[in-house]
Amino acid sequence: MSKLDTSTDPQVGFRPPGTLDIATALERYNGPFGRRQAAHLARRTGFGPTPAEVDGLAAHGVEGAVDSLLHPSEPEIDFTSYPDSAKLFDPKVRNVTAVMWWLDRMLRTKRPLVEKMTLFWHGHFATSINKVPANYMVGQIDLFRSQALGNFRTLLLSVSKDPAMLIWLDNRYNFAAHPNENFAREIMELFALGLGNYTEDDIKAGARAFTGWTLDKDGHFIFREALHDPGMKTFLGRTGPWNGDDIINIIVAQPIHQRYLCRNLLEYFVYSDPEPALVDALAQVYALSGYDIAKTVGSIIRSNVFYSTRAYRALPKSPIEFTLGLLRYMDVKQVPADMPGWLFRMGQYPLAPPSVKGWDGGPTWISTSTLLARFNLVNRVVKAAPPRPAAAAPAMSPAPAPNLNFFAAMTPDVVVAQAGGLDPGKVLETIVAGALQDDVTSDVRQTLMDYLNSTGATLPVPFGPENYQEKVRGVLALVLNLPSNQLN
Amino acid sequence: MASRRVFLSQSLGIAVLGGTMPSFFSQAAAADPLPALGVSIDPRNVLVVVQMGGGNDGLNMVVPYSDDAYHRVRPAIAIDDKSALKIDERIALNPVMGGLNELFKEGNLAIVQGVGYPNPNRSHFEATQIWETASPERPVSTGWLGRYLDRIVPASTADSAQANLFTAVTLGDTVPAAMIAQHVDVPAIGALSTFQYNSGKDTASRLTAGRLYDGARAGQSPYLEMIETTARTALRGGDILKAKIASYKKTVTYPTDAFSQQLALAAQIIGSDVGTRVIFVSIGSFDTHAGQRNQQDRLLGYLSGGLLAFQKDLAAHGNADRTLVLTFSEFGRRVSQNASNGTDHGTAMPMFALGAKVKGGVYGEHPSLTDLDHGDLKYNTDFRSVYATVLEKWLARDPSQIISGGFGQLAFV
Repeated sequence: MSKLDTSTDPQVGFRPPGTLDIATALERYNGPFGRRQAAHLARRTGFGPTPAEVDGLAAHGVEGAVDSLLHPSEPEIDFTSYPDSAKLFDPKVRNVTAVMWWLDRMLRTKRPLVEKMTLFWHGHFATSINKVPANYMVGQIDLFRSQALGNFRTLLLSVSKDPAMLIWLDNRYNFAAHPNENFAREIMELFALGLGNYTEDDIKAGARAFTGWTLDKDGHFIFREALHDPGMKTFLGRTGPWNGDDIINIIVAQPIHQRYLCRNLLEYFVYSDPEPALVDALAQVYALSGYDIAKTVGSIIRSNVFYSTRAYRALPKSPIEFTLGLLRYMDVKQVPADMPGWLFRMGQYPLAPPSVKGWDGGPTWISTSTLLARFNLVNRVVKAAPPRPAAAAPAMSPAPAPNLNFFAAMTPDVVVAQAGGLDPGKVLETIVAGALQDDVTSDVRQTLMDYLNSTGATLPVPFGPENYQEKVRGVLALVLNLPSNQLN
Repeated sequence: MASRRVFLSQSLGIAVLGGTMPSFFSQAAAADPLPALGVSIDPRNVLVVVQMGGGNDGLNMVVPYSDDAYHRVRPAIAIDDKSALKIDERIALNPVMGGLNELFKEGNLAIVQGVGYPNPNRSHFEATQIWETASPERPVSTGWLGRYLDRIVPASTADSAQANLFTAVTLGDTVPAAMIAQHVDVPAIGALSTFQYNSGKDTASRLTAGRLYDGARAGQSPYLEMIETTARTALRGGDILKAKIASYKKTVTYPTDAFSQQLALAAQIIGSDVGTRVIFVSIGSFDTHAGQRNQQDRLLGYLSGGLLAFQKDLAAHGNADRTLVLTFSEFGRRVSQNASNGTDHGTAMPMFALGAKVKGGVYGEHPSLTDLDHGDLKYNTDFRSVYATVLEKWLARDPSQIISGGFGQLAFV
């Protein structure tokens, strides 16, 4: 199977086989909601659920589970004392400090959908720490988080005034005398309309409207009227003395915008290359809601199409989804200090998308190098043993210090206790159920049983008291490296 | 040639039927393209691209020592006339670059002066994208080397079990924009030890992992087949590379710095018959805003020492005639030194082309140090001319299929 053309826009991934029943696609799902459906919901709306979280969501039922994600009632962990501002301005550690700050949120948050949408907006408004200082990047992520499930028109306006964006796309240098078209181009091509849905004249008019939207000497947004071009502009067919607010209002009212954003949301939550009819149906929901993101996302994650077999494990996990899911399943309590490096090798260093387009995702996540990195990350994490078998988990700290000596609290002893004894079959069932909701074939189970029962030079006896530590870690690695665990 | 083709087609049959032949054997037949142009070009030619990350100061690498303006604007950081390694009456190499000076005297080093492009970008990130995609006007998704790979590797074989995983190789942790292709998987090899399935002493785990990924089963997701195929290629590729390279005997002692060690691995890969055409290697951190001399001189020393050892190693294995090295950096630096005895982001710079088949010498004019554009050098050779030259004369491809816009060719190949 060859990879798809990644040079065209919009990005096309693999649409699942089968046909869409458009009449019922966005209607509320009222089918069975067991552990598999709950885990599916949790994977798509978060960073990989623990077995206990799956059970909790399943107990809520679909409506309760969706509500708990859209309107979380549990208080959030107090993350306010981190990142350390001194580190955020230290050229040696600022980038990794910002990245670790965000990964820590992803690992520990009580509001996974908010964080997952924050990551969506980061990819959508792709801004990079390779050009923008870390403190502004943190500010931008905080902005995305605060409006993650808010109103898109408001969000687009906030992003247009966000210091990181003003630096990233050079609008801070967009003055009436010398318009800089970079931001005006990307707001249409990447943020709201998509390539081919505007003209070069629209870019020129848009750039003039955003002249004078710049930064003051302290790095805060300021509108400098003297640098603004107040003249008449014709933008997307409408003529007036437009400023940036007007441009955003004109953009979001375009039906093509509504389809563009909804297509991206469907690709993020449901499956690649969604049918145009499905995009159109969601675009109606979005337009009627007045650009309300929570209502639009809520409509997706309650829908029949979302819980259809066509959507189930139909997307490749992004490196962040894969890594955080691994850490959460293995019950690693803090983000290990080497995770940014692993994410880099897997192709998704947070805060550093490869270009203004963000991460292409889909088929581009999968390459020989990135898969080897995934395999070896799993092999590393499952072997992250505590100093002593009975050691307690380290006390939580609001500011995790870099610590390469992390360990996974999902130890072989914990697995064996959950399995109810030193029985290789029960151990395998526990792992396969907890990590993969039993999404493995009987062939695969047999291969894994053969591994547990095998003998070799290093482990000369079958599964038993002498070697269960090594064998359980080994089978954990094999299960977490299965093809189905590469799929979300 | 005829017998080689017969052998390859036979091994292709074995690979398809039995699945046991190393994949690169079988793929060599399919990926060995007929040169589009210039039938005299060796189809085994290898291009090694060296990225000098951070923006290398060209003026202290290829030094206009006879120009008073150079000494005037760089009172603290200029290379002094006495120690400079003089190439002619006007220019000299930085004194730490004895190795490259030796190669220049042997006629194996071409210096292309004043390379740049219109409306130069001074952001590391954006300028790097521009150089690596060869598209200054507009961001594009594929790199210039990636587009070359898409041309030489048939799309039908790129992801199949017959694919040659090592047609292009990045030595580093991640694939640079230059190597992003539409349908060719370019492995990033940080080290041999990481480009394989690491299960430590548990060899049963490695064997089991291979079995778990062997034989794609129809799944619900169309991604599943792609993941399984790619994983099998990766698992086998790591084993093959390790086995192939184990038989390569180094004859040269390389310097111990990381860049030179990467070049040692590059020479091993070229000499190990895994069908490699392009290798990408990086050396950082040339972003010398402060205290430039210490830092840049150290890095240029690594560059020069590493490349000299590399050339000797290639020659000892009979691979020097089919290997060409090309260096680039995202930008040069400003002409005047700054207040911290460093230099800030600038524009044009020299590029090096190096190899036994390179026509050594100086190409193009050194940009004027007095006729400047807002304090920066004016370029006189577009970098896409350098790329086009290499693509057509070294890799036997029509550059117009790979780089948009027509660019004249240079004579260094």
